[in-house]
Amino acid sequence: MAEHAISFEKLNKYYGDHHALRDVTLDVDHGETLVICGPSGSGKSTLIRCVNGLEAYADGALSVLGHSVGDDERELEAVRKRVGMVFQSFNLFPHLTVLENCVLPQVRGIKRSRTEATQIAMGQLGRVRVAEHAHKFPDQISGGQKQRVALARSLSLDPDIMLFDEPTSALDPEMISEVLDVMQELTRGNMTIICVTHEMGFARAVADKVILMVDGAIVEQGDPEQMFTVPKHPITQDFMKAVAS
Amino acid sequence: MVAETLPPPIAQSGIGHWFKKHFFSTWLDGVLSLIFLALIIWVVSAVWTWGLRHAIWTVENREACGHGSGACWAVIQDRHRLILFGLYPYEEHWRSTLACLAVIATMVLSCVPLFWTVWRLPILWLVGFGTFVLLMRGGFAGMPLVTTEQWGGLSLTIFIFSAVFVLGTPLAVILAFARRSSLPVIAKTTGLFIDIFRSLPLLTILFAAAVVVPLVLPDWLQGDKLGRVIIGFALFFAAYQAEIIRAGLQSIPDGQVEAAVSLNMPFWSQVVDIQLPQAFRNTLPSTINQAVITFKETSIVTIIGFFEVMASGNAVVGTGEWGQQYVEVYLFLAFIYFVFVFGLSRYGAWLETRMRVGHG
Repeated sequence: MAEHAISFEKLNKYYGDHHALRDVTLDVDHGETLVICGPSGSGKSTLIRCVNGLEAYADGALSVLGHSVGDDERELEAVRKRVGMVFQSFNLFPHLTVLENCVLPQVRGIKRSRTEATQIAMGQLGRVRVAEHAHKFPDQISGGQKQRVALARSLSLDPDIMLFDEPTSALDPEMISEVLDVMQELTRGNMTIICVTHEMGFARAVADKVILMVDGAIVEQGDPEQMFTVPKHPITQDFMKAVAS
Repeated sequence: MVAETLPPPIAQSGIGHWFKKHFFSTWLDGVLSLIFLALIIWVVSAVWTWGLRHAIWTVENREACGHGSGACWAVIQDRHRLILFGLYPYEEHWRSTLACLAVIATMVLSCVPLFWTVWRLPILWLVGFGTFVLLMRGGFAGMPLVTTEQWGGLSLTIFIFSAVFVLGTPLAVILAFARRSSLPVIAKTTGLFIDIFRSLPLLTILFAAAVVVPLVLPDWLQGDKLGRVIIGFALFFAAYQAEIIRAGLQSIPDGQVEAAVSLNMPFWSQVVDIQLPQAFRNTLPSTINQAVITFKETSIVTIIGFFEVMASGNAVVGTGEWGQQYVEVYLFLAFIYFVFVFGLSRYGAWLETRMRVGHG
């Protein structure tokens, strides 16, 4: 087993002239819950989208569970098999029922039988407490339910790592906690989790480590207590004040 | 201070009220309503008198045709076989009927969601069209050979339409994806191909397929004239349909493919399970539109010598015997087209409801 679950080494990425990631070096341990925060446009999403190859980086090195993420399609596939992702906009498949959303990726991606996949999907839907909506279509359930279905869909594939890209930013306020609750349950297991979020209460409760990104670079990292109570860097101090108010 | 609560408006109902509200709410409305009512009564009674009450139905009474004031439907009774089967040998019309039913059954079954899998559709089409061609062509099991030059009438129209649709749709899907390719060579070439086929009139393409292609291709590659015409027509259809599908693909949010990628679904599954159903759903109204246009355009194959239903109708009128009855014949043809086009529209409407078009 690789020493770290994920390790970024001097990762750089550009969108045209915009320097989106600047020499990002970061290790995430097995079973660790990492929260990334920072102002919008600071490269948080770009960073986690590099992990499963949704974004390509320009230079540096990135290894996930011992596989190097780069141009090699086989390595990418090996990584995607073990990395799940939940998006801000849910990205459920609108033409499929909730259950079929969870079954189809198992059948197509890891060649499970339909019976087994259905059983696993129902189990995961139960775990995130949406089992009774299994036969509805995504447009018939609420945002909070959609996001929990998206989580169940990823969990059905038994990932070792889960990536959360602002999972509650598109939700109405009253639905945020139902999603954070199931995420919090997840952090108690031995899954490796990276979560981009603005929910500082959540970060403080579940994170093993918090990092702050500004303009594509990691400005400060540490355990949540230290980051929230005695931030060292002036930018962190300003940011913490801003999100606290 | 509490505002005074008004009583709810009295709900007025009943037919009388409905009529008053919709037809007689002002004096101008009333006058217009009466004028149109008179017009409708006049048209309906005229059609009724001409088309049914004074109509002549059987060939035995045909002497009366042209003297009275009614339609002469005897022409349909006398010549329906020509309209339905064209020049197909008279004794073999049962084969054409069966073949036609096979293709209609294939198309109806294709419309049933149960058959929408990667394997079932191609097998269904292979069996359906195979049956059609074998029955129509014959040349085995005691069935005399009938070459495609003799195929005709309604069965030819339906065959051309469904073959064009079935060949053209997969081609359109391939063209749509090729045009969105990240490799500029493929995207540009496909774009050029689509633009060329869209800029040529259908007639030119069919002429080229029937007449020009045999001059350039070696004998063994030419195949049958009908086959070439169907392929040319399918390319024309595919060029238009490809753009419709491309629009449908573009309307799918990037997140859909990102989700599929991050769920490690293989590329073919991203296309077949995620992109195509959504693209198809988003473009259903335009696709049905394109199908209707294509059905009506099949009449153009007359010009290169195929005797489809429109040409057969013209042939009936072209004889001195029934030359006076062109109105009846064309009405009958219009009725045939209407049945198919109306069926297509109703199917489209049903699919839209079923696929919940317009829902997220």
